[in-house]
Amino acid sequence: MHPFDIKAVLFAKHAQHVVLIHFPIALFIIGVLFDFLAQWKNQRLLAAAAYYNLLVAAIATIPVVVTGILAWQWELEGQKLKGILLMHLVMGCLSTVLICGVWFIHARTRRKQQEVLSGYRLPIEAVAVVIVALTGHLGGFLSGVNGPG
Amino acid sequence: MRRSVFTAGLRAAFLLGLGALGAGQTGFVASAQQKLETTEVKIDNFTFGPAALTVPVGTTVTWINKDDIPHTVVSTDDPKTFKSRVLDTDEKFSFTFSKPGTFPYFCSIHPKMTGKVIVQ
Repeated sequence: MHPFDIKAVLFAKHAQHVVLIHFPIALFIIGVLFDFLAQWKNQRLLAAAAYYNLLVAAIATIPVVVTGILAWQWELEGQKLKGILLMHLVMGCLSTVLICGVWFIHARTRRKQQEVLSGYRLPIEAVAVVIVALTGHLGGFLSGVNGPG
Repeated sequence: MRRSVFTAGLRAAFLLGLGALGAGQTGFVASAQQKLETTEVKIDNFTFGPAALTVPVGTTVTWINKDDIPHTVVSTDDPKTFKSRVLDTDEKFSFTFSKPGTFPYFCSIHPKMTGKVIVQ
């Protein structure tokens, strides 16, 4: 296998999807944590930290989605998914939409120079964290982190 | 007296023959069952069992997923000699080995899962 072959980084043994996924998960959860802290402590610095974490989390979802879909198309030859794999795909797409959506709410407020972020974002962020965690749980279940070896 | 001894001897020989035949049949049935079992590879707890399987040419090997997780069965060669779809719990994949050789394979979702079929 050629080291610069695009399929080499997507296929089994070198699959990057399971590596890259940790970045948006961590950044998003920390971003939400900063946002809740910013709301509670009323600190702009925490709000800025939340924004940049959410921004990088949203960017980091792009390679994750791309590597996941390409692995599905090439490794599994795009076959119709069912069961846990289908659930993981659907929840992964939903997580991506929620992460980007939460970042968009923050970005729109910053663009409009609004002082106060809308309060409805907090329950959305909480739901998004739960969905992301469930998607990650399914991914971990699929990848066999609890398996032998 | 001599005749009864001869008859008893014949009976004993007949019974011994029957017993031997029965044992032979049992051995044949056991051998056939063993042969049948070895053509099936169970996927369970992220392992192929048996991990190495030796079969004669023309044997059809069936993999059955007994795990809660989906798995695949993919040969490591290029182009692939065999490649299954994603197998959910209790789903099967069969392949007939028509050529001798060693055929290593793995699960493309969990590459640590490996096995091989040795065709003689």
